[in-house]
Parts: sequence; C-alpha cells; structure tokens
Amino acid sequence: MNLFLQQIINGLTLGSIYGLVALGLTLVYGILHIPNFAHGALYMVGAFMSYFLMVDVGVHYWIAMAGSALIVAALAIICERLVFHPLRHSPPIHDKIAAIGILLFLEALVQMFWGADFRRMSSPFTGILNFDGLIIPEQRLLIIVGALTLVALLQVFLRKTMTGATILALAQNREGAFLVGIDANRVAMMTFGISGALAAIAATLYAPINLVYPAMGHLVIMKAFVIIILGGMGSVPGAIAGGMIIGFAEAFGGFYISTAYKDIIAFGLLVVILSVRPQGLFAKGAH
Amino acid sequence: MLRLNQLDVCYGSFKALNNIDMTIGAGELVVLLGANGAGKTTLFNAISGLIKPTAGDMEFEGQRLSGRKPSAIVSAGIVQCAEGRKLFPQMSVAQNLMLGGYVHRRDKVGNRQRQQEMYQLFPILAEKKDQPAGSLSGGQQQMVAIGRAMMSRPRLLMLDEPSLGLAPLIVRQMFETIKQINRLGTTVLLAEQNAFAALKIASRAYVMENGRLVMEGDRETMLGNERIRKAYIGA
Repeated sequence: MNLFLQQIINGLTLGSIYGLVALGLTLVYGILHIPNFAHGALYMVGAFMSYFLMVDVGVHYWIAMAGSALIVAALAIICERLVFHPLRHSPPIHDKIAAIGILLFLEALVQMFWGADFRRMSSPFTGILNFDGLIIPEQRLLIIVGALTLVALLQVFLRKTMTGATILALAQNREGAFLVGIDANRVAMMTFGISGALAAIAATLYAPINLVYPAMGHLVIMKAFVIIILGGMGSVPGAIAGGMIIGFAEAFGGFYISTAYKDIIAFGLLVVILSVRPQGLFAKGAH
Repeated sequence: MLRLNQLDVCYGSFKALNNIDMTIGAGELVVLLGANGAGKTTLFNAISGLIKPTAGDMEFEGQRLSGRKPSAIVSAGIVQCAEGRKLFPQMSVAQNLMLGGYVHRRDKVGNRQRQQEMYQLFPILAEKKDQPAGSLSGGQQQMVAIGRAMMSRPRLLMLDEPSLGLAPLIVRQMFETIKQINRLGTTVLLAEQNAFAALKIASRAYVMENGRLVMEGDRETMLGNERIRKAYIGA
C-alpha cells in the first residue's frame, strides 16, 4: 500500500512540474498560435539563474526563485518584443523557426558561461517526512504545494480579474478583443512574462531533486508539448489535467513496468490518445 | 461628429472602398444600406482601426483617427458591434459584458452600474449571466454583443448587420432596442440589408455599392426612391 501511495506522491511531483511548464506553453499558444519551442530553454535558464543567484551571489533559495522568475519573465518579454512581435504578419513557419533559433541561442549562451557540466543545486528543504512508512522528501512536498498554489493563483487571475481575462479573451476571439479595446501588444508581453516566470519557478522547484545542465529543458518541453496536445492546445484546465496524467503515467509506469521505459510512456500515451481522440482530451478552444 | 474624407481601402490591387465621404452628426441614427460584399464591413473595420485605409482622412469630434490603434479608437468613443458578434464563447455572459468595460476598467463602480443597465435593457441576459456566451441562442448572443459594445460607453455605436440570421420577431425587438439606445443619446451607424426595417428607425441613410457610396438622403427620400425600393425592399 505504501509503495502505491509513494507512486502517487511521485506522480503528483512530476505532474506539478509538467503542469507548470505546460501552462506557460498553452497560454502563449492560446494568444499567438505559435508553439514556443524556446519555452524549454526558458525553463533551463530559470534553473541556471537560481543556481547562479544561490551559489555565486549567495542568496536564499526563495529569493533566488523570485529573482530567477523575474529575470526569465523579462527574458521572455524580450523574446516577444525582439523576435515574435516583428514576425506577427509572417507565415507561422517563421515563428517556429525563430523559436528554435532562440532555443539554440539560449543553450549556447548558457554553455558559454557555465559549460556543459551537470551541476547539483541544493535546497534548504532536505528533510524527509515519514508518515507511518510513507516517505515524502520535503522538496517533493514543496513542489506539489507550490505548484498547486501557483495554479490556483493563476486561475483566480485569469477568471476573476479584468487584466487576466484579457489573455483568455484574446485567445477566444482576437477581433472581439480588439473591439472592446484590448491592446494585443500588452497582452502578448504579459503572457510571455507569466509563461517565463512559471517556467523559472518550475525549474527552481525541480532542480534540487534533479540536475542543472544546458540540455535539461529538452525532455521537459517535449513532454509539455505532449501535455498540451492531450489537454487541447490553449486550454488551461487541459494543461493541468494533462500534466497530471503524464506525471502519473510516468510514476506508475516507471515503478510497475520499468524506469528505463518511463520516458517512452508519455509518448506512447500520446500515440494512443491521439488515435482515439485526435482533437485532444479536453479540446474546446482556449478557456 | 464623424467625418470621413475621400477614404480608400485596398486589399492588394482590389479597391474595397473608393472615395468614401460620410458625415454623421451627434445624436443621429444613420443606416448604411448595401448588398453582401458592398464594403460595409470594410468601412466599419477601417473606422475601428482594424484595417488601414490607403488614402483619405477620418475625423471624430475634431480629432484625427487615422493611424490610431483599435484600442485608442474604442477609448475615443467609437465602438463596433461586429457582424458575427465576435463574442468570447467560453466566457460567461457576465464576463463578456465585464470585458466590454475594459477601457473603463479603473471605474469599477461605473462599470457595475452600466452592467445593471444592460440587464435592464436585455432582461433575459440577467437570467443567463453565468452561462457561457457560446451556449446562447443567436438572438441572445446578439444581445450580448450589443450589451458588450454598450459597456464601452460609446458615443458612436456601429452595428454591423445585427439582424443577420435572426427570426423576424427577434429582429423587430432588436430594432426597437437600437432605437431606444439612440433615443438615450448614443449616435448609431447601422449597416443593414434589411432596408425597410432599418429605414423605419433611421433618420438618414447611405447606400453603398461596390465600395462606393452611391446615394444619400433622409428617410422619406429613401423610402420613396424607386431604385431603393426595387433593390433593397423588394416592393
């Protein structure tokens, strides 16, 4: 029984991280209709920024996380202004190529400063909680609680505030949004900022139980794409649910089948679900 | 109030609007008649700033509109209720109305009050306020669209074929509501193919054909005109 509960904890941990990354991706997709391949690089830069702030500047984990979120949000906004905004009238393939360009550029940049080595990031939450045999490392609990809190905050922002609603409005009907006086530039910058901050926070939460290296974003972004395809491109609840589905599939598949196959499980699931429901599980447009 | 001066719009080599001169005075209800493809929607989108005119000037209350962003034009007081409604389908009726008040977002009290006024104008919307706008009937969606446009507190409201695809009884109510909105002080520019019903509530009309304004006149002149009767009223 405990082993089963243990896998639930693992599934929740992975699902939380995947969900946070996928949320940023789906928000950007919802308003610009571009798959932002550079999102994984933003995640990776987020981990390096936290690492840098903790190790080289020497600040506390929380401050490093906040600083990294701000820096990556700014970086994402710069990408929008310098790359995606000038391409707004070009064919979609240009955005995709540009996104891959940003991805390669950021990876090379990080590698130039920090090298390709694997680094370990420490966290002040190294304790292990033991609930009658069920073992939960503090960092995993932090990931789950942190991600749930962020998702809840994001939901309140998107559904209860006028500023947040402009993101969904632009995703649901672009012209309708212009007709009520919503400024597309402002919303695009805000959305990129939020997506960058979410990626940086996810990376900072996950890095202490993983490693920090320039290619760390690859697998995460591939899975985030699987998630938003599963959940319906642009759908916020779909990204959260999709994140959990992939997280649980990996945790349980890894345990009951083989850890060697855990990465294949996500993509296998994608093939199965897309052949049964090609429109995704929750596809109903942006909401 | 609104003055268009020799306005041209081109899509590539196709001239969608050709030398449009139009004047609308404060408080008027002006109808723009024209068949499908005549250029009515193009004209509205040019005034709203969604497409850029290739030549000519637009002036609203003495200020130049040319080159302004759509959001600036809404703030200036020109609001379009577009053909096809352009609602936010997965959001509730109340949220759609709330976003209509986006340019006045600092005035929360005013927006709430205005929202109540919209529920008085369209009581059915008060009943459906928590339902997704996309789940409503066509007539109700049109009410949400007009309500959302009115939430932006327009001084000039442009309605693009609000009767399109609605049952005759609903159309009559819709025109009554438009008349009432005008009587309460909002200047209205109404694009319609339903010429008879539109002319009944209008003070003046323009006729558009192939991107040109080919005729202009007050209601009586238009209703009495043989060509108009043949082309748009069918009597």
